[in-house]
Amino acid sequence: MRNKPTHILLYAAFALLACACKTMNISRYYRYHQSVLDSIELVYKQSYKNKPFSIEFTDRAFDRVSLELTTDTLTYIYEFWVGEDRMKDTLRKYGFDIQVVNNLITNMRSVDCTWINNLDYYTDERKHSLVYVTLWPRAFNFPFVNKKYYILTYFPQPQYFDSDGNLLMGRKLRRIRKINAEVFRRINDKVCYTLSARFR
Amino acid sequence: MKICYLRGTDYIRLMKRPLFSLLSVLLFALTTLGEPGHSTQQEALAFLQELKLPDSSIYWPNARSRLFMENLRHNVQYPLSMYQGSNTNFCGYAALSYLPLNNDPLQYVKFMAALFLEGKATWGRIHFDPAPEVMRAAGTLRFKGVLDIHPADQMWFLVLADHFRSYLNFFFRKYHAGSEDSFWAACNLGKFNRIVTRLLGYKIRAVGSDLIRPGIKDLYAYLQKAIQAGTTFLYVNNTYLHVKNHDKSKFGFPTHYIVLSDIQMKDDIFTIIYWDYGGRTLRQVTPKFLKKILYGVTYTLNNGHEE
Repeated sequence: MRNKPTHILLYAAFALLACACKTMNISRYYRYHQSVLDSIELVYKQSYKNKPFSIEFTDRAFDRVSLELTTDTLTYIYEFWVGEDRMKDTLRKYGFDIQVVNNLITNMRSVDCTWINNLDYYTDERKHSLVYVTLWPRAFNFPFVNKKYYILTYFPQPQYFDSDGNLLMGRKLRRIRKINAEVFRRINDKVCYTLSARFR
Repeated sequence: MKICYLRGTDYIRLMKRPLFSLLSVLLFALTTLGEPGHSTQQEALAFLQELKLPDSSIYWPNARSRLFMENLRHNVQYPLSMYQGSNTNFCGYAALSYLPLNNDPLQYVKFMAALFLEGKATWGRIHFDPAPEVMRAAGTLRFKGVLDIHPADQMWFLVLADHFRSYLNFFFRKYHAGSEDSFWAACNLGKFNRIVTRLLGYKIRAVGSDLIRPGIKDLYAYLQKAIQAGTTFLYVNNTYLHVKNHDKSKFGFPTHYIVLSDIQMKDDIFTIIYWDYGGRTLRQVTPKFLKKILYGVTYTLNNGHEE
């Protein structure tokens, strides 16, 4: 009986650990936040066409943001506090739409999206592009546990999948496609996901 | 018959000229053997214009000649665009390619053409006779970004990794599918410097190691001097430079090579411009951060600055 408080504490710690390590259903997460996630992808894709850039949140609180602004000659990497005036000045200097980038940052924060980028991939010697969105939901925030990221890939056209839902290279080539060394699985015809230890 | 006895000083006087000539020839031979070549983009493009390749090579069954030629032409025209491929360990070879692509593209295309046509080639004094598994692999690497459609780059990286070895290859001696992502393809600082000096013929100055950071007191002055002297390579811990996860604890050894082209200091912040991943990047870092990630500096002496 003397050990009862110790047992309770141990059970509580175990339950806490179990909760912290639970896996998230990414399909459900995607459906729940679909409108925001899809709008992030759409706005990013359109803005990227005008001027290439990528956005990364560098901290767990989603307060520090790193922008990679690509020009013809150089890629500029700057880090700011969210909403900092210096960021607006920088965006203005390189000719980016400040409102669009700010809205993207706000929306990314609202759905725990830590990274967005445009990624080129090749099929039959032809170049294609996809939008690479990394989610870092706070459910995974537990010390000593490896950080895991859910990655969504938005393809411009419907993709081919095997019976297990794995992304394939194409209709004729039934080989599993890897993106950033990861195998992706189907959410819908154009959106896939994977779980990764790296956000990019 | 009159016998002439020559004194020691007479011998020296008589032999001075031929000895001097012999020494000059030897010195010239020694210096020119290790000299890096110089050619222009136009010369390399003219060579490619005349080059006729068969549709396929018996030595490189998976490297298509059309893509191979396009790749070579692209590398000559846009030498900064060479891309190592995503998630490969070819960054060392991609970084050192900066030298021949910018300074001697003709030698580079001649070497690649010989490799494609004959299955082996010689660069300077180094003869390359790639392993059969490497020859089969070139052109088959996939999911590596633009490297997928660059068979010449695949060939170049694989041949360099196959030829130059270091202690990292102790357990990774032969190429297997996927070795491009393993220690087989990795390039430690010693190997990197060896390729730059022995293969490309550059005189270099280098500090650092694979595990211990160099103790450079005035890093800013040192790097400025290096940039003025020639092409400057930094051997860095990429887990901090090109962050891929938010883990607080990161392993502490170098994994990546970049080419530093400029460094400026203002308000105790360094603004660096460097080349990697097929493009140039500008970013601001603190001196503490740069010291933390820096494990080696290698710079060439091609601008005539010995010290």
